[in-house]
Amino acid sequence: MLNIIRSKNISKWIDNNRIYLIFIVVFLLATAFAPNFFNLFNLTNILRGASLGMMVAIGFTIVMICGHMDLSVASTLNLGAILVIGMQPRFGWTVSLIAAVLAGGIVGIINGLLVAKAKIHSFIVTLGTMTIVQGIIYMYSHGSSINVTDFALADWIDKAVIPLLPPRVLITVIAVALFEVFLTRTPYGKGFYMVGGNKETAWLAGFNTDRYLINAFTISALMAALGGALFSISISSAVPNMGEKGVSPLMIVLAATIIGGTSMAGGKGSIVKSAVAVIALGTLFNGLNCFGTGYEVQIFASGLVLAIVVLYEAFALYKQDRLRGQRPELLKELEDGRFKKI
Amino acid sequence: MSTENMSTKLDRRSSKHAKWNLWLNKFGVYFMVILFIAFGTLISDKFLTVSNFMNIIQAVAMLGIVAVGVSFITYSGHFADMSVPVIMAFSGIIAVGAVKYGIVISILLGIAAGLSIGLVNAFVIGKLRANPIIWTLAVAFVMNGFIRWAYSGNQIYPDVESKGNVAGQIFVNLSRMNVFGSLPLMVLVMFIVVIIGQILLTKTKFGLQLKLIGSNYEAAKMTGVNVSRTVGLAFILSSVTTSIGGIFLTSLAKVGAYYNGIGYDFNAVTAIVLGGMTLAGGRGNAIGVLGGVFTLGLLSNIMTLIGVDTFSQAIVKGIIFIIVVGINAKSLRKLGRDDA
Repeated sequence: MLNIIRSKNISKWIDNNRIYLIFIVVFLLATAFAPNFFNLFNLTNILRGASLGMMVAIGFTIVMICGHMDLSVASTLNLGAILVIGMQPRFGWTVSLIAAVLAGGIVGIINGLLVAKAKIHSFIVTLGTMTIVQGIIYMYSHGSSINVTDFALADWIDKAVIPLLPPRVLITVIAVALFEVFLTRTPYGKGFYMVGGNKETAWLAGFNTDRYLINAFTISALMAALGGALFSISISSAVPNMGEKGVSPLMIVLAATIIGGTSMAGGKGSIVKSAVAVIALGTLFNGLNCFGTGYEVQIFASGLVLAIVVLYEAFALYKQDRLRGQRPELLKELEDGRFKKI
Repeated sequence: MSTENMSTKLDRRSSKHAKWNLWLNKFGVYFMVILFIAFGTLISDKFLTVSNFMNIIQAVAMLGIVAVGVSFITYSGHFADMSVPVIMAFSGIIAVGAVKYGIVISILLGIAAGLSIGLVNAFVIGKLRANPIIWTLAVAFVMNGFIRWAYSGNQIYPDVESKGNVAGQIFVNLSRMNVFGSLPLMVLVMFIVVIIGQILLTKTKFGLQLKLIGSNYEAAKMTGVNVSRTVGLAFILSSVTTSIGGIFLTSLAKVGAYYNGIGYDFNAVTAIVLGGMTLAGGRGNAIGVLGGVFTLGLLSNIMTLIGVDTFSQAIVKGIIFIIVVGINAKSLRKLGRDDA
């Protein structure tokens, strides 16, 4: 009996912390086998590459915790990227950064209003706004890439002032920490889990569910626009079709959020785990890159990780479903011979 | 007495409304098609001609073939198939690779390639109950990487692959071929797929079981429907029509490459939902989906005639999409079916 409890606890612990285990395994394997992997420069590079995904994953995870889906994040981050670069020559960095993030926020509010008030499925709403925002981006940029005139900020934002943590990564890490605290420690933040777990109960318990949904979509769009803006600042240019022929940032973030253990049904998930999953995928990409493998192997490997995680979850649910209505511990006792068969 | 009268009156009125709403929900998309046709006729005299309509239908034929297949998945309440682009790319690239063995083998192998992905999807989602969006997304990742790796990121060309064989020419001509005089083959295939899809969805045991699964999975299971087989079959059917669409797309592009079919996943969902199917499942039909496909085609045709550029077209399309689906959801909610 004790054994059952203990093994159950261990498997549960592994379930809860699987993303950290995946990250450690990937990291150790890369350190052991990949040439030129374990040095400060490369590790900083991984964090730099992952910071865009981490920023987007914050809001994406909150929306998913609410039981919804935000397909428009990729377009919104593109919007933030293109606006901050396009407005910089005329208005300077501060104004253009604020304007870009606020523009993202407007997209999020529209998403939230349509989902919460007009009661349209979030998949459809964000699919529509994804198309609309992409069109706006093309109109604004006339389909070509844009450059800035002031390169000083780009130098500063990606320079490793503190080891491992250039300012852009630092901002991202702070944002992740703040939102994690907000979501798990404050009463208001915990409400997101309530709304995602069971909307009716949350409403009956006095939560303003509509407001929560609108806030979730707004946070998602704000963080996506901020991430995109910081990314484009760091490369001093922006293109209207980021990741269109390759794998779009939406897919990477969605994959990372799922690998991080957030449930699509809502009510379950963690921002830190999503962020670690983004870093783990980045580490996997980088480690494979060290072998000189191409982009295609990296896509393949990240797909494989996602597939294994989904299969594992599905298989666990499948087993649980088969045992539904049964009492395995009683059956076990029967097998042990504690009770006589009649 | 009077209250009784009142209630029957209310009943009658609400049932009248219900019928109207249900009708709107089922075939309302054709209203929009008629509206667009009227609008197009008003604004341009080039619009209402046979050749222009042939253009419109030919432009959306591949989307129609794909969308009808994917609508089986939506109908069963499993949202959509994110692996549509890679199925299209994979079937196309395999068909191009096999074109040297003759056109029939090439097409059959292409469909078999798409079917193999569909079988995997069917098993994992039907039997193991994995989340359809995420699983098909993972499949899309893996196959995208695989196709790039297997062909080293290159494109392959049917006329080169056929090594001077006549099959390469036929393959390229597949999407440009006319049958029965001036009916393009693609359009014929689309109408056949729609008719088969409509019969399957509304007239067969499979369709009814799919509707039950889409409406209430648990209830369907308790009733004794073989849910895993039925859901699996939906994914298999979707993969077959998607690979047919992929072969036509490859033939039209004259090149087999990993990026063929990008965007078809979301476009198919747009057409399906415009056509009156709800993502909750169990509602809609194939003819409605065809209407959704026509709507998309008419919309871009009219906007091109007016002279709206491609970028603004995306904006208009997105706005119309959200408005139409919002109206649809509202009409369903008025019926007391708050699941849209």
